[in-house]
Amino acid sequence: MRFRVLMLLVGAAVFAGTAACDEALSDLTGPTPNLEPTFSSIQQEILNTTDSSGRPACINCHNGNPFVPGNFTGANAYNALVNARSFEKPNLVRVAPGDADNSYMVHKLEGGPNIVGERMPRGGGPFLTSGQMLVIRKWIADGAPNN
Amino acid sequence: MMTVLRIASLLLALTVITPRLAAAQADPAAPANSAAPAAAQAGDDDPDRDFNRSQPDFTVVNLPTTLRLPKFKSAFRVTHRFGRPLGQGDFGELAEDLFGLDSGAQIGLEYRFGLMRGLQAGIHRTSDRTIEFFTQYSLLQQADHGFGLGVIASIDGTNNFKDSYTPMIGVAVSRELGKYGAIYVEPMWVNNSNLLPSELVDHNDTIMIGVGARIRVRPTVYVVGEYVPRSGNTPGVNHGTFGIEKVAGGHTFQLNFSDGFGTTMGQLARGGTASDNWYLGFNISRKFF
Repeated sequence: MRFRVLMLLVGAAVFAGTAACDEALSDLTGPTPNLEPTFSSIQQEILNTTDSSGRPACINCHNGNPFVPGNFTGANAYNALVNARSFEKPNLVRVAPGDADNSYMVHKLEGGPNIVGERMPRGGGPFLTSGQMLVIRKWIADGAPNN
Repeated sequence: MMTVLRIASLLLALTVITPRLAAAQADPAAPANSAAPAAAQAGDDDPDRDFNRSQPDFTVVNLPTTLRLPKFKSAFRVTHRFGRPLGQGDFGELAEDLFGLDSGAQIGLEYRFGLMRGLQAGIHRTSDRTIEFFTQYSLLQQADHGFGLGVIASIDGTNNFKDSYTPMIGVAVSRELGKYGAIYVEPMWVNNSNLLPSELVDHNDTIMIGVGARIRVRPTVYVVGEYVPRSGNTPGVNHGTFGIEKVAGGHTFQLNFSDGFGTTMGQLARGGTASDNWYLGFNISRKFF
């Protein structure tokens, strides 16, 4: 009986130490270790700033410049992305809440075959990593909330 | 914090396991390999050493049985899951590839050890560099309670146990059918079955209820089968497999057909490949007692 209690305690200790095993999001998001699947985080880490890979910030160009569609600066960003019709592909919206595969922003960032013009960020990269794209896709899949 | 907890828990487990291993190595009474498992060896009255016709091995195909490993004895197992889908191409092409044997395989090597009566622990490594540590404690036996019950636990980690840890805890319930085999029900909870961070997934745990059976059709020939329905994180298809096996001496030779390559509990939680793909495989196990 004492042995069974001991084994139960050992088992509980081992399991408690491992039950919350999880991969760190920061390991996946590479050059933007603080990136999370929220709009505020994506705006801060992707739209507004460059990262250690040398990728340029989106607002370097998408800042209200009349020759570049979409103003992704500050308070304009959410409405310019979510349910906003694409300039290049008017049959698609830039971010379709809950549907990353049909969001033109995802097509442009991943370099999908149906995009018009260059893959973003323009200039041939560095592009967003697959981990960074997973975070953006998750935010869209969650309904693209303004959080 | 979690890293510290993991290291602490592994050290705790090692402090329990290491003295037992040392004791086993120092045991002069441990006999050399025997090819006669059908009866307990002379002078040894441990009933765990008797050959069990209903449960001749420690696994059905991938799911554990409730067979007890004798104290300080051990067993070894090799698993192969060949990568060629059996439904690909016509029969002639399949025969040309020797039903998949010409293709690469996911190979598993496993060693288990009886730490003390009713308690066994082991390690299983698959060729995708997953390492699984597992343990099983026999709580109830059919002779006393009408069914067998074992507590099972494991943890596997990818990249040689450096990434993506997937712990499992569950029970294995068995009912032996006289000398004609046994049936199993094994509810399990698998944590962190999704290899992505929990922030990016809807489900990070999998509940599995493994069901399995081993039926003796000839004195030393069995048919085996398993099915593992899941809920929670359920990529791929539910693991299913069936096969035929021959027990010869201390060996068990099993030819099986599976809908995936998984052999660890974490791999089973992640499911097979696709419902219309089945793969040839085999298990060979050897008891060292």
